[in-house]
Amino acid sequence: MTKAAPRARRTRRRLRAVLVRLATSLLVIWGAATVSFAALQLTPGSVADALVGTSIVSPQVKAQIIADYGLDRPVLTQYLSYLGMVVRGDLGHSYQLNESVGTAIWAQLGASLQLTAAGMGLALVLATVLALLTAKRSRWIRGVSSGAELVGTSVPIFWVGILLLTVFSFQLGWFPAAGGDGLGGLILPAISMALPVTALLAQVMREGLERALDEPFVLTARARGMSDAAVRLRHALRHALLPVITLAGWLFGLLLGAMVVIEQVFSRQGLGTLMLGAVTGKDLPVVMGVVLLTASVYVVINTLLDLLYLVIDPRLREAT
Amino acid sequence: MYLTGRFAPPALLLTTALALSACGTAAESDTKSTKPVSGGILRYAVNTEPSNLDPHASPSDITAVFTRPVLDSLVSLDPKGGVHPWLATSWEVSPDGKSYTFALRKDVTFSDGTPFDAEAVKANLDHVVDPKTKSELAAGLITPYKGTEVVDPHTVRITLSRPHSPLLSALSTPYLGIQSPATLKLGADALARKVVGSGPFVIDAFTPRQGITYHRNPKYAWPPQGAAHAGPAYLEKLEFKVLREDSVRVGALTSGQVDAIGSVPPVNVSQVKADSRLWLETRQAPGGNYNYYPNTQKGVFSDVRVRQAFRASIDFKTIIGKLYFGVFQPAASPIAPSTFGYDPGTEQLGGYDPQAASKLLDEAGWTTRDAQGYRTKDGRRLTVRWMFVKMIAREQRAVLSEQVQAEARKAGIDVQFLDVTPSNYAPIALRGDYDLSDYSWQRVDADALRDLFASSNIPNDQGGSGANASRYSNKDVDAWLDQTLDTTDPAKRVELYGKVQRKVVEDAAVFPVYTFNYVLGGAKKVHGITWEAQAYPSFYDAWVSAP
Repeated sequence: MTKAAPRARRTRRRLRAVLVRLATSLLVIWGAATVSFAALQLTPGSVADALVGTSIVSPQVKAQIIADYGLDRPVLTQYLSYLGMVVRGDLGHSYQLNESVGTAIWAQLGASLQLTAAGMGLALVLATVLALLTAKRSRWIRGVSSGAELVGTSVPIFWVGILLLTVFSFQLGWFPAAGGDGLGGLILPAISMALPVTALLAQVMREGLERALDEPFVLTARARGMSDAAVRLRHALRHALLPVITLAGWLFGLLLGAMVVIEQVFSRQGLGTLMLGAVTGKDLPVVMGVVLLTASVYVVINTLLDLLYLVIDPRLREAT
Repeated sequence: MYLTGRFAPPALLLTTALALSACGTAAESDTKSTKPVSGGILRYAVNTEPSNLDPHASPSDITAVFTRPVLDSLVSLDPKGGVHPWLATSWEVSPDGKSYTFALRKDVTFSDGTPFDAEAVKANLDHVVDPKTKSELAAGLITPYKGTEVVDPHTVRITLSRPHSPLLSALSTPYLGIQSPATLKLGADALARKVVGSGPFVIDAFTPRQGITYHRNPKYAWPPQGAAHAGPAYLEKLEFKVLREDSVRVGALTSGQVDAIGSVPPVNVSQVKADSRLWLETRQAPGGNYNYYPNTQKGVFSDVRVRQAFRASIDFKTIIGKLYFGVFQPAASPIAPSTFGYDPGTEQLGGYDPQAASKLLDEAGWTTRDAQGYRTKDGRRLTVRWMFVKMIAREQRAVLSEQVQAEARKAGIDVQFLDVTPSNYAPIALRGDYDLSDYSWQRVDADALRDLFASSNIPNDQGGSGANASRYSNKDVDAWLDQTLDTTDPAKRVELYGKVQRKVVEDAAVFPVYTFNYVLGGAKKVHGITWEAQAYPSFYDAWVSAP
């Protein structure tokens, strides 16, 4: 009994932690949905006007638009009925695209996931390699590297994309200028996306590595006769990874912005363009759909990252 | 319907035989490239895409471009305003101009197998005007439409509430293209992604943000009168790719990744021309030019002298020439020279004359200047508030507007840009809370003038095109425009349209800016792309020679 009690208490505590996590996640998603709903209502112009843009339509057409989407209902009613639909798993019907929001998002999701995964993966690998090779090296190596990183974070993705296309597609003909299917169409967009991320991550990682390499345990490891490469890989890298993980969650938001530009330059499908068109056209259901999706992904990623901390840093395991 | 099915194969054989005999008799000196080759694929890149493929609903140019390969029209229009048979073999207009009776071809089937007949025509026109279609353009082309009557399976009568002479040219556009009645029943969502017609091509798939693919309609035997060949299209496959970035589109062409592109940016025109592997062709878009429209109803521009002064103080010729490298021409009339009914007399009116502008402003009482050098009257600055929608400005119009602002400043006029987006454009336009607005109004004929200057088309929430942002109301002009609807006599219409153009230019109810040109670039192996009356590319006669 004396042994069982703490275990039960621990289980209860874990269960409560999970529930709290779940509740806050739902709160985050609901908050994101509500804020974006309010933002779209607050921007000037009515939805019915936005839908026809700069063409002046007949009163019948306008009345039809208003009736079709129930735009004459009070905002609160629209908001509540929208929430009701979402709870039932229905994201609604786009005002502009003549298809359901679910279909619209689903059609773009694959391309976006591919791009994000490829870009992020590439960036992580490159940043790690770069940081491992340059941390605590001679001055000029670090200088060249951090100079390159500065350039990487400051050049516009748009320009990088056009440059890559000009050289590798128009001149050398190695990759297609458009057509996102297959690996060939993914490489240049992924590089454009990875470039600023790599530069950023490499900076953070190198700093982490350098701090770790100054620690006494590194001296101990070296004293045991461990090679430099092994010290870097087995001991220092772990320490450098923690701030990177923290950053990765935040980077996700940055990537969504980058996506818009990359999809435009490389004529790719994706959520970025979908979102851009929806925001400018006040296509409320699509905006809300993408917001709900990204908020959910955000929550999932952050939860996973929190778990990842525990894997990487044993010290944190004690706390839970 | 059985008959039409049987009719198709002999027609096919006939055209093949014709093509063969043409090959046989071709002169020795004829190079390979002058004989059309059947087969192959043409990849064409465009700068934008439709959000809705149904031309009955969508108002955008690109919808017309995407659906023209698929859709035939009742009649076809030549650039001189002549109307020719297409799906209708002949037509008759009643003496009162209120009913049009069309005799239809009997050998036409839609690509889904549905026969083309009078019922199909009725279903299409009724679909256009149905409020559920939410038509943003097509319904406006036939506002007096009352109904369609099926006289017999191959005769159809359209009745109007009042005479409307532009009906035939409207029917020639893809916006009133004839779709299969079977697909019209599928509803707006389905039509937005796939349109089925009787045209020379059939849609395979439309993928938003990528493009659209077509294959040849092997049974096609009913091209419009005036086409260069009969029978099915030469191209086996046709593909439009959406490449929004100008430099990417040009790069794709020069590197051979696409065979032709639309909207060659003016800055790249000389580059494409100089490339020995490429050709470049331009075609002037008919209808309303890209113009500035001053609010003649209230504010500073309600004084005709101020309007004339504004126009005279801006050297449009030089600005346009420098900005667009001669690819777009400075305009003199509200409509393009390529429009049937254009009045060249307008070219003598309303040129650049800063001294005259200064005199006019003095006469109008804007004699004093404030500390910044702007003209004032009774302590108020001469300010022009421009409802410029930067967000959707194409063709460097934003750069243009800033140069105009700088020129106006020299004349002491303060041009300010209102914060306008597509979402709040309509309310501002309806209220008339602006001094200047700008847009192009490309239409197939000079009836564009009625949209732009008839007092009934001043933006209002009761109907009309809303394109009279000048809020111009002139009894003579209204009467002339009404008369253009009543007469089908081309000479009479030209005279009336000429009067309207001269009057609105004299009244400075419009500041003509530039005439838009469609600029097409292609590889030398691509031949036979022709132009629709509305200057959209047409691929029916197009073919690709072996490299």
